[in-house]
Amino acid sequence: MDFFERQEKARRNTKLLVVYFVTGVAMLILTIYLVAAVVFNLTGSRARHRHYNYDDNSELQPNQIPFWNLKLFCGVAIGTLAVVGIGSIFKTMELAQGGSAVSSMMGGRLINPNTTDLDERKLLNVVEEMALASGMPVPQVYVMDGEDGINAFAAGHTTSDATVTVTRGCMKLLTRDELQGVIAHEFSHILNGDMRLNLRLLGIIFGILCLAIIGRVLLYARGGNSRDRNALPFFGAALLVIGYVGVFFGHLIQAAVSRQREFLADASAVQFTRNPLGITGALKKIGGLGESGSRIAHAHAQEISHMFFGNGLGEPLFGLLATHPPLTDRIRAIDPNFDGIFPPLRYAAGQEIPQRAARTATPPRFPAVPPIVPAAVALGSVMPNLGTPNTAHLRYAVELRNSFPPALQSAARDAMGASALIYGLLLSSDPAMRAKQLGLLAQNTSAAVRQETERLLPEIDPVATNAKLPLVDLALPGLRLLSPTQYQQFNRATKVLIEADGQIDLFEYVLQKIVLRHLDTQFNGARKAVIQYYSLAPLAADCSVLLSSLAHAGSNDPGQCEAAFRQGAQNLSAMARLPLSYLSSDECNLPQINSALTRLNQAAPQIKKNLLNACAQVVAADGVIQEMEAELLRAIADTLDCPMPPFLQPAQASAAAPALD
Amino acid sequence: MTGLGIGLIILLCAIIILFFLVMFIASAYNRLVSLRNRYKNAYAQIDVQLKRRYDLIPNLVETAKGYIKHERETLENVTKARNIAYTAAQAAAANPGDANAMKSLSSAETGLAGTLGRLLMVTEQYPDLKANQNMMQLTEELTSTENKISFARQAYNDSVMTYNTQREVFPANLIANTFNFTPAESFVIDKPEEKEAPKVQF
Repeated sequence: MDFFERQEKARRNTKLLVVYFVTGVAMLILTIYLVAAVVFNLTGSRARHRHYNYDDNSELQPNQIPFWNLKLFCGVAIGTLAVVGIGSIFKTMELAQGGSAVSSMMGGRLINPNTTDLDERKLLNVVEEMALASGMPVPQVYVMDGEDGINAFAAGHTTSDATVTVTRGCMKLLTRDELQGVIAHEFSHILNGDMRLNLRLLGIIFGILCLAIIGRVLLYARGGNSRDRNALPFFGAALLVIGYVGVFFGHLIQAAVSRQREFLADASAVQFTRNPLGITGALKKIGGLGESGSRIAHAHAQEISHMFFGNGLGEPLFGLLATHPPLTDRIRAIDPNFDGIFPPLRYAAGQEIPQRAARTATPPRFPAVPPIVPAAVALGSVMPNLGTPNTAHLRYAVELRNSFPPALQSAARDAMGASALIYGLLLSSDPAMRAKQLGLLAQNTSAAVRQETERLLPEIDPVATNAKLPLVDLALPGLRLLSPTQYQQFNRATKVLIEADGQIDLFEYVLQKIVLRHLDTQFNGARKAVIQYYSLAPLAADCSVLLSSLAHAGSNDPGQCEAAFRQGAQNLSAMARLPLSYLSSDECNLPQINSALTRLNQAAPQIKKNLLNACAQVVAADGVIQEMEAELLRAIADTLDCPMPPFLQPAQASAAAPALD
Repeated sequence: MTGLGIGLIILLCAIIILFFLVMFIASAYNRLVSLRNRYKNAYAQIDVQLKRRYDLIPNLVETAKGYIKHERETLENVTKARNIAYTAAQAAAANPGDANAMKSLSSAETGLAGTLGRLLMVTEQYPDLKANQNMMQLTEELTSTENKISFARQAYNDSVMTYNTQREVFPANLIANTFNFTPAESFVIDKPEEKEAPKVQF
């Protein structure tokens, strides 16, 4: 299964969920209607007996009230739909702020990217490495200080607003390898598209819960209408029961979906890290902590129980309600020889658990590989890796991150340094142009920012092309610390810098687009990743723009450009049943590329797959993919929400093979 | 049956209105909480940079000591002001946004900025000290950190303003007062040289 299939499958699961949910609500309406009919008829008829003189000339005899009453049914249906709908919409809107909303709801504290605490630093480093290895922006990391169990979860709509939250126990008790296993598990949830599914589930269950809440209110309410006086508490009690039964079934669906995703995520974690000892070690430590190994004490734990790494609640009464498979099963799925005995683990605050001395399964480290980029990449290696980083990528990411000068690493972690870093990457190499750009920068921001940019410049200039995209990804946590006003300023300044040199550098432009797109969720609310296009035909013009500008970026010779374009457009135009027209470089200006990328991002995963394939063919038309082209391809994939791991030299990739046992 | 129908409709309306009311209160409350967390997080940014600066200052004083012969008290003043600011910063970090803590931090920082400015002025008179490699690095680092502090301070003050506005507007202020959301204090450092009007002599 490749990245696109997994995304597609997650979407199908979401749709299935909606079907379940609609059926569930229909059943709820029917049940409530029946209860209402019974309750109101009984009390109504009693009232009629009592007020014998009451003359409503009713056509109904007290004992012959039919069970079908359209008015009542409509009332019940509208009421139920309104309550459940409003409840779900409200919760969904509350969560629409993305992962950070969920993380802070759970009492998570955002780890300062600049932290000096050793454990926090280790956690951030592990997350950064994993993000670089999968070609994703570095997510925000939260820690739940009050939780001593070992647990973690990932939340968010897209890769831009994803957050990773771990408990204090997770951060303190696990070794680096085990932590890596847990983080890889969470990343696979992100890459598998499970997070959106999770958020949707949260909204739905809350909607049903609202019914029960209203039932409880009614139970103690007194009706204003004398006839309804007796009916209301009955009705309320019934609603309470029905609501909780609905929530029960909601949890059943939640648990079923969750159990299935957990095995997948465990398997992916091993696939990413190629180190089964990491994740099994973490699972064994959860078992070693005893009954409450992964328990989350927070009041909201129930709501997001299906998102956790380990079982966040106590052991449920029925296996069907368990959100996670038993620990032993999960460990055996990875390590069939597991004897089922958990070595006991005691939690001592502030005491580091000694690292295991022998880390036999850890692959030998490379002697510091300088981030020399592959001169050329084989076309075949482009697509299969998408969304599936492996050890080679991970090791490459570690070395890449270590190869950045300390000044850049620390700059990427605070707001000012990170913005200066981005400005530095956008500066021209021509001294005269650079001076002009720096002048514009000072005008649009402040002298202090210009100073900081100039200070970082000697470090930024030698950064290799292949390291620029990772550097941008690393700077994102720092940039998220900008205040809204500062973000406006930043937004304006990057535009000015790009336009200053009067010529389009596609790579520069795409870098800036990535930054702004990923930050947009932070400052302007989460984007809804809604799919607008299921077929290629309406996007033909946008494909032409993108492929043509890629072709222009690859070569200056018009003949070669057109040949490259044809190479990529061939399959795509066959699929769209429309000829894609080759555009000259004047016709592919920035606004056009911008709108093309925005529209293409709203295409279904399979279309994106074909499109990225076509892009790869365009850049590979001359037989090789140059490092510049490779990074451009990764950058474009990033703007389409398809994280692409870095390209590795064949030697680096095959060196990972011996570690595969 | 019609009476029953009307009763039911009124009931449903009441439920829906109640529901919206509860939802409104919850969302206003949550917004206040998230804004409060945002300014606290913005303060953490300042805190990191402040700490870095407090670590740099003793080194700076130590280096300057070897050269400065006459204005001993300038050095002592810097150390004193640094220690005062350090304590104030610790109090503020424990409770960011608290009016008293922020005010005392503001005045301590203003004092520190003043004494540091004087120290740098004094170093102008010692060319050897100015040429010292260590001193050059330290002043460079200090300037960079100060720039970052002012940048982070701007972000903090922005988020404090958003929070305070949300706290004061109607009807969110009813909820803010009920649930005891206290106003946050912004962080201002007065730079003496910026405030003094230029003296013109004829």
